[in-house]
Amino acid sequence: MTEFLQATVYGVLQGGLLALVAVGFSLVWGVMNVVNLSHGAFVILGAYVGWMMHDRFGLDPLLGMLVAASVLFVIGYAVQRFLVNLVINGPIFITLLLTFGLSLIIIQAMNVGFTANYRSIHTGYASNSIALGEVHIPLGRLVAFAIAVVVTLLLVALVTRTRTGISILATGMDRGAARLMGIRARHVYALTFGIAAAMAAIAGTMVGTVGTFNPAAAGSYTLLSFVIAVLGGLGNMYGALVGGIVIGLVEAWAGLYLPGTWMNAIAFLVLILVLIARPSGLLGRAFYASRVEV
Amino acid sequence: MSQLREGARAEAAVPAPAVQPWWRRLAPWGLLALGVVAMLGLQSQIYTGQERTVSAIFMFIALAQGWNLIGGFTGYASFGQVAFFGIGGYTTAVAMVHWQASFWLSLAVSGVVAAIFGGVIGLPLLRLKGHYFAIATLGVAEGMREVVTNLPRLTGGGAGITIPTVGTKATTTYLGNDGFYWLFLGLAALALAISTLVSRNKFGFALRAINQDEDAAGALGINTTRAKVLAFALSGFVCGLVGAAYAFQQAVIYPARLFDVDITVLMVVMVVIGGAGTVVGPLVGAVALQFLSEYLRQNFTDAHIFILGLIIIVGVVLLPQGFVNYVVEARRTGDWSLLSNVRRYRL
Amino acid sequence: MNDVPVLETRGLGRRFGGLQAVSDVSFSVPKGEVLGVIGPNGAGKSTFINLVTGHIKPTSGKVLIDGKDLTGRKPWTVAHAGVARTFQIVKPFRGMSVRENVAVGVLYGPHHASTMGQAIRRADELLEEVGLVGVADRPPAELSVADARRLEFAKALASSPKLLLLDEVMAGLRPSEIEPSLELILRLKEQGLTILVVEHVMKAILAISDRVLVINQGKVLTSGEPRAVLSDPRVIEAYLGQRYASRRESKDA
Repeated sequence: MTEFLQATVYGVLQGGLLALVAVGFSLVWGVMNVVNLSHGAFVILGAYVGWMMHDRFGLDPLLGMLVAASVLFVIGYAVQRFLVNLVINGPIFITLLLTFGLSLIIIQAMNVGFTANYRSIHTGYASNSIALGEVHIPLGRLVAFAIAVVVTLLLVALVTRTRTGISILATGMDRGAARLMGIRARHVYALTFGIAAAMAAIAGTMVGTVGTFNPAAAGSYTLLSFVIAVLGGLGNMYGALVGGIVIGLVEAWAGLYLPGTWMNAIAFLVLILVLIARPSGLLGRAFYASRVEV
Repeated sequence: MSQLREGARAEAAVPAPAVQPWWRRLAPWGLLALGVVAMLGLQSQIYTGQERTVSAIFMFIALAQGWNLIGGFTGYASFGQVAFFGIGGYTTAVAMVHWQASFWLSLAVSGVVAAIFGGVIGLPLLRLKGHYFAIATLGVAEGMREVVTNLPRLTGGGAGITIPTVGTKATTTYLGNDGFYWLFLGLAALALAISTLVSRNKFGFALRAINQDEDAAGALGINTTRAKVLAFALSGFVCGLVGAAYAFQQAVIYPARLFDVDITVLMVVMVVIGGAGTVVGPLVGAVALQFLSEYLRQNFTDAHIFILGLIIIVGVVLLPQGFVNYVVEARRTGDWSLLSNVRRYRL
Repeated sequence: MNDVPVLETRGLGRRFGGLQAVSDVSFSVPKGEVLGVIGPNGAGKSTFINLVTGHIKPTSGKVLIDGKDLTGRKPWTVAHAGVARTFQIVKPFRGMSVRENVAVGVLYGPHHASTMGQAIRRADELLEEVGLVGVADRPPAELSVADARRLEFAKALASSPKLLLLDEVMAGLRPSEIEPSLELILRLKEQGLTILVVEHVMKAILAISDRVLVINQGKVLTSGEPRAVLSDPRVIEAYLGQRYASRRESKDA
């Protein structure tokens, strides 16, 4: 029973972190119908920035993540503005290929710049834990979870409360109409992509404080973002939280009861079942769901 | 918005009229036969290392044509195509190791197993569209890798499985460089033949109609579910055969290699850059990309992935509709400017 | 005389989440009739057509074609039962020539052409009939609005249907372009085709309909002889709002 509770706690905390990894991916997909295959590379790149800030300048990751977010925001903005916008009206495999090519380049650049060795951001407190009876709550993961929830809520507030956010939503719903209203779609798309990359950077820094990372991990974070975005429903930002926690729990429980790496297969099984049964996700109303014109 | 994107989709400008004089109808078959003969002639002119490189090109021609059936003609971007490749490879390995089947029997069975797998997963998955289909198929491929990894008694698990190629345990004598050259050439020719047939028969018409407007296709009486599932199964059949041949050639196979996402991406890149939904496009794409990546691997060992990424990006930005469609359109309109080509999909 | 209606719906309805887009629509179209279907924007006319053709599954009620229950069947099954349709937003196959667009319908309709050659010949006849011969080799993207609508028409006729559902085939056309469409519809009626026409152009409805059905807020408001229906105060109210209708009534009084 204790084991189960421990796994549950771990799953929820890990789920929050995964939600933060995926929320930017979901935003980009929901707003501009782009599946960004370089999202995982952004996460890892953010982790390296956070790691460098800590390693070279002794900056705590809680501050380092802000630096990482700023750097990745600029990169994300530029990538969308000068690259993805060039093919945004093309068939889907064009944007998929473009972002895949981009991720190849980023991953290779990280391999050259930082080597393929595993890194992690060591802080004094991350490995401490709080004991609740028999169950231990690792402090680093708790902090990461709290940041994930806060940042996700901030994103929701940004999108629903501010002028910028509303122009993002409007562009996502109907680009033509938004442009007629005087919204500069190119800028809004680039902004959205930049915000998503910044979120990825924060997530990456947190990943680095609670565990290890290397350039090769990028692909699995992209894939997890996929799964979570679909589970939660596109464009629904609370959805990412739900999707993340579902995946966190499923993997934690599967890891407890199933041998080998079956838990990875379970995550994909969940994904496919959800896609077939409820293509718009658990909470979602997809912006781009297929529908017959009425 | 979604309609806006729909309107801007890449299609070939104007295809040739469906009824053609006999010599135009037979021309592709003549070219195909000529190509096979030329490739057999080429074999005597090259040394062993080059023979392997050319075999790899044949392999990717077949794979690209396989993907083209579902992704190019039908317009369903399968990002899990490597699942068929892996299933074909493991079916052959398991059949040869555990059931002492000959390679040739295993090869045929692998194609059929991959086709059935395509039909079974296609039925639910082909109801999904766009990115959802892409992701679901990607999930299937990743899931299959985990399944194969976690059945060590049958598949050897993550450590891999070895097909005996010499001695009494070898059910079929190893084909050697010459043999695999012929085998992959044959598979490439088969895939090209299937693609050519589909591109001009009634079934191909249905696939193109589904690609261009699925609702309208259904309203005109096309059983879209059946056509899509058949196309998926057929593409699975081709990729399964190739996977089987690859497994025997490698002799030692691992889940990480046989279910490598990069193989899927290579197929997609080759088809898209060459020209999706055409027969010549994927052929051109496969030859060009495979040559290029081989050249880069040999001359820029460290930077070749970097350059490959750059080529993908530059390729899709400059030629989003693919090389073949670009040439067809440019000849029709007289506008060869790549800049006006970039303009078509940008915001 | 065969008195089984070509199309009959019984209590047909469709709910999208909280929105009842179509509810309890029951009526029938006898063989050879041209039925005009009108109603304000968003009344559920296109949804209704989609329910009949199987592009949307109904949540209640039944659809009968020639007395055969085809409720919720797939679009191709309905097409093979002899039902053809046009789409309000034109849906050409963009990568095919105009001729090939029509040939697809000939190849896959209920009376399949057995060879590509036959399909192409039949397609050419149909292009002649709707007046698109001159652009047969062009891609649909190069067609004018009127020609794009004609292409929809030709594709629908390609399967040699017995029931034709026309969803606003005259929308966006100039008066001079509407005339040939009307003539075509009347010609098809003479050939014994049963036709359901959804249309906003009232002049067209009056010119061709034997009977008119008014749909408002997803329900059947009224039906009957065209002129009588169009002067029904309830219909005027549905289109122009209650204030206009009552003003008009008081003026009449």
